[in-house]
Amino acid sequence: MSLQSIFYLSTLTIAAIISGSLAWYTWRNQQTMGAKPFSLLMLSIFYWSVTYILQLASPGIATKIFWEKVTFIAVVTTPVMWLIFALEYAGRKEWMSRPRTPLLFVVPFLTMIVIATNEAHHLFWFNQQFFRVGGLLLEQSDNGLWFWVHAAYSYVLILIGTVLIVRSLLRWPSHYRRQLPWMLLAIATPWLANAITVFKLLPILIDLTPIAFMVTGVGMAYALFRYRLLDLAPIARDVVIEGMHDGMIVLDASNQIVDINSAAQNILNLSGEQDPIGKRLGEVFTSRPALIQHYQTVTEARDEIALGEGENQRWYELTLSPLRDQQKNPVGRVILVRDMTDRKRAEEQLRQLSRAVESSPTSIVITNADGKIQYVNPKFTEVTGYTAEEILGGNPNILKTDLTPAETHRQLWETISSGREWRGEFCNRKKNGEIYWELASISPIEDAAGNITHYVAVKEDITERKRTEALLQESELRFRQIVENASDLIYRTDANGRITYANQPVLRVLGYSGEAEVLGKHYLDLTTPDSRMKLKHTYTRQLLKQTKNTYHEFPTIAADGREVWFGQNVQLITEGDKFIGFQAIARDITAIKQAQEALRIAYDQAMEASRAKSQLIAKVSHELRTPLGGILGYAELLQTNAFGSLQPRQEKAVGEILQSAEYLNEMVRELLDEAQIQGNTSILKARAFSPATLLQQATSAMEILAQGKGLEYSAFLDPNLPQELYGDDHRILQILINLIGNAIKFTKQGSICVNLSCADSDHWSMQVKDTGIGIPSEAQSSIFEPFQQASNAITRENPGIGLGLSITKQLVVLMGGRIKLESEVGVGSTFDILLPIVKRPPGS
Amino acid sequence: MTKPLALIIEDDPTLGEIFSITLESDFETETIKDGPTAITYLAGVVPALVILDLHLPGLSGADILSRIRGDERLSKTRVILATADNQRANLIETQADMVLLKPISPTQLRELARRLKP
Repeated sequence: MSLQSIFYLSTLTIAAIISGSLAWYTWRNQQTMGAKPFSLLMLSIFYWSVTYILQLASPGIATKIFWEKVTFIAVVTTPVMWLIFALEYAGRKEWMSRPRTPLLFVVPFLTMIVIATNEAHHLFWFNQQFFRVGGLLLEQSDNGLWFWVHAAYSYVLILIGTVLIVRSLLRWPSHYRRQLPWMLLAIATPWLANAITVFKLLPILIDLTPIAFMVTGVGMAYALFRYRLLDLAPIARDVVIEGMHDGMIVLDASNQIVDINSAAQNILNLSGEQDPIGKRLGEVFTSRPALIQHYQTVTEARDEIALGEGENQRWYELTLSPLRDQQKNPVGRVILVRDMTDRKRAEEQLRQLSRAVESSPTSIVITNADGKIQYVNPKFTEVTGYTAEEILGGNPNILKTDLTPAETHRQLWETISSGREWRGEFCNRKKNGEIYWELASISPIEDAAGNITHYVAVKEDITERKRTEALLQESELRFRQIVENASDLIYRTDANGRITYANQPVLRVLGYSGEAEVLGKHYLDLTTPDSRMKLKHTYTRQLLKQTKNTYHEFPTIAADGREVWFGQNVQLITEGDKFIGFQAIARDITAIKQAQEALRIAYDQAMEASRAKSQLIAKVSHELRTPLGGILGYAELLQTNAFGSLQPRQEKAVGEILQSAEYLNEMVRELLDEAQIQGNTSILKARAFSPATLLQQATSAMEILAQGKGLEYSAFLDPNLPQELYGDDHRILQILINLIGNAIKFTKQGSICVNLSCADSDHWSMQVKDTGIGIPSEAQSSIFEPFQQASNAITRENPGIGLGLSITKQLVVLMGGRIKLESEVGVGSTFDILLPIVKRPPGS
Repeated sequence: MTKPLALIIEDDPTLGEIFSITLESDFETETIKDGPTAITYLAGVVPALVILDLHLPGLSGADILSRIRGDERLSKTRVILATADNQRANLIETQADMVLLKPISPTQLRELARRLKP
């Protein structure tokens, strides 16, 4: 073999290797636009190289012819591959629709048939000549008609392809543009070489095309590795694009889909049946024609759209951006579709929370981890007077006052910086200086890593409550002071009757050393067993009738078992409508009770004694009066000659007897009366009586006696006197009779006049007027004293021990009246008794 | 003309005697010492005047007085109460025509009786 042939074969081999490698390499990375057809192109060139080697190395003509024909498969298909590659590279993939692509292969196919049957018609080659040069079998022929058809077709395709590539080259950014000249050179070289061969432009026998392929190969390799023709970045980019969650659609200027990633296909619910590339967006995404229509002409937009219905509805953020070439001409658009449903939902939730925070009735303050305020809600402004602008960036400490203990703040920081929630009260100052109290709940907010990023404080204004508490405390204190210092016993029970409070005096009186001994005890425990039922009824009645205040007395048991009487006022304690207990203010009335008891005993004893005494007096009275009656009676009968007439000495003797007996009688009577009055056994009885009847009774008793002594007796009744008076008429009669008796006794001659009259509107009087011996003025006061008489002389004559007037006066005074005396010695006396007019009490 | 009858109900003989002597000039007198006998007596006789002592053994003067006053036949009979006890007298004086407190003056009694004589 000659050097030339070796050189020739070598170059072809190299070309084959290079194109084969390229074919394989680019086939592996076929994602890149144009990579597939390029790979096929390289494959056909590889095939061409290999078969040309075989052709040249053919031992015989027949073999060579065979391999020649086989080579031509590559020769006819390469232009088509070129065109396809160019179309794809130029972004005109749409030309390569299903029906068209096979059409392109029609001519090549026919050409192959012509070539295969060349012997028959010689339409392709004729006058074939073969010769050997340096071990290689070469060939030379004239080209037949079909050859030129094939050539023309091929060159047209190549031309179109080249034009397309050149055009798109010019439009591409400079970075990519640099690839193309190398590519063009690489591709053009074989055609130049081929043209030379075909048109026999140079007197070279062998086909230069393969050599050119070497150049091609070298060029391609150079372009590939230098300019990274088909490099990783686009592939990486593709991976990213396919792996994106966001949907990406690239549309060309006529709204056909140039590129679409799988995310976009999912979002738009495009089925996997048809390849959307090359179709109009509206054709593949049919559910929202209106939407497509809307964005038909929009090149730049950022919107939110909803796709899907009801439960499945999802929100997407739609971003349209224009794609422009170097000249800023729009060449297409890229649509990004991002699923923002979750974000939208989160936004909605945030909006709701925001609204809640904004309109919250409690103040809300959010600070960052350093304590700088980042947000305050309107309520905060309302409460403190600081607007959001004024306080943002500030520290909540500006609200601080000294009234909050420093301990509180320290504890607060400790708690929340260790990640726990803190609750407590602050005393803060408003912008206008006013003090207020708030109850705060402060919590830290952590990020995903557990670091504290913010603090949230929720604060409630408790100023009013604090004030009320303070007032309550104060009044409680005051109450306590009063109650503790009161000398009265004050204690309280709860609604069940258990003692909740007892002041000092209670403890002292009951003999307990401390409040603890008494608290919790039931009130019934402190009372004597006998009185428990009654006491319980009293309280129950008070509770049922809701009587505000009652008084009752009951015995309690002291610590040592003594009985202590309480006289207490009990009040119901209510809180609003609810009954919560009793309050009692009591006095130790044991002493009083004892005194009362003693008094009652004494009274009973006195009554008993008095009764005994009355009985005694009655008995004595009877025992004394009966014999007296005998003496007086007989003496008087003797005197009235009932037992025959008496001699003067006998008469005188009887007179003496009578006198003494009368004296004795008087003494007895007065003594008994005095005893009765002094012993208080004579209680005035009061009843209705008629003054007329009284007078009549007195008169009928005394008139005779007066007349018996030869005295004139007259009685008068004032018509103005009430028909009925109320009083102890028996005693009044006694008094009247007593006076009349005295008048008769001390009057020797003349008259006795008894007059009952109306003294004034409230009093009436009994008057006894006589013409007796009279009472000297110096004796007038003393006669009302017991055992007094005016003068001894008169006494001797008129025995009477003088108790009568004393008793009379006492009785009159007892009745609320008074006795008056007018007297002149030798003229007479007038006794005037004034008594109050007592009306009959109602119901008697 | 017969003298009217005066019944004296008095347990003390002395006093009874005195009453009797006092009234004998104007009345026929009958003295009875106890209540039950007096009642029996009154069942058959209508005296013009009764002198009644309140302090009687057995049946009390008060009861007798009630009986007298309760008896239709004795409606015209005058009753003079004689008693030492003015308090007792209080209670029933409305039923009697007169109350006299012991010791009683015979003169007074005679005068009163005369007045009450029918």
